[in-house]
Amino acid sequence: MPISEAHVGRSYPATAPYEVTAVKVAEFAAALKDADNPAYAGDCAVAPPTFAVVLAAATWDSLFGDPELELSLSRTVHADQRFTWTRQLRVGDLVEAQLVIDKVRLRGPAAFITISVQLATTAGEPLCVATSTLVHTAEVAA
Amino acid sequence: MNVEVGTTIGSVSAAFSRTDLVRYAGASGDFNPIHYNDAAAAALGLPGVIAHGMLTMGTALRVVTDWCGDPTRVLSYYVRFTKPVVVPATGTVEVTFTGTVTGVSDAVATVTIEALCEETKVLGSVSVEVRVD
Repeated sequence: MPISEAHVGRSYPATAPYEVTAVKVAEFAAALKDADNPAYAGDCAVAPPTFAVVLAAATWDSLFGDPELELSLSRTVHADQRFTWTRQLRVGDLVEAQLVIDKVRLRGPAAFITISVQLATTAGEPLCVATSTLVHTAEVAA
Repeated sequence: MNVEVGTTIGSVSAAFSRTDLVRYAGASGDFNPIHYNDAAAAALGLPGVIAHGMLTMGTALRVVTDWCGDPTRVLSYYVRFTKPVVVPATGTVEVTFTGTVTGVSDAVATVTIEALCEETKVLGSVSVEVRVD
């Protein structure tokens, strides 16, 4: 059975601890054309706020890899995004991320899927909640 | 920092090329092929390869972080991706972001950001909460 309301509440194991490094923060800032911001440079750098997506995207593998849901990343678009930070990520943080399916709404071949990803340090300090609505369009059989 | 309601806090313009999308895919880990492969975009009925919503969202926030000077002041951030930013195979597409203060309460400013791509709003319901104490 493809994804349905029955999957609301399903969660996946937390990702392996991810270390926020100065190189990765600088790479992400450059991808946002914001490499000149001194806050994002050096060994004491803070990460650009939306860096949280690096951790969130890592959890998407568990969602799209769940054979029961029959989801394909290439048939998915991002409809909305919310981040709520307890504090911004910074270089040296060891971060785990865990994805939960919050809501599923079906309309024809389209599934509107709300997921939330909790980011916390390996010591248990909460960092960020990233909530996304994804729209997945199933291939209609010919 | 002027935090009166109605204050325009600044603008940022960014030109996105396919190379920028590939760079963002690598930096973010989001390798959805609709952001680099025309056939994948067409298969979903999109008008062409589109920018990652998160690239648009992340770039838009520069309006706020340039204004407040300290990214750790950002408390929350919400956007709806209302229209796709179609990125041509050659050349670039430009998006202009403008921020305006919509509320101030208990040393937290709420800012909205308008994102215009060829006169079309590509983000909706944008709301950023920023600590301004």
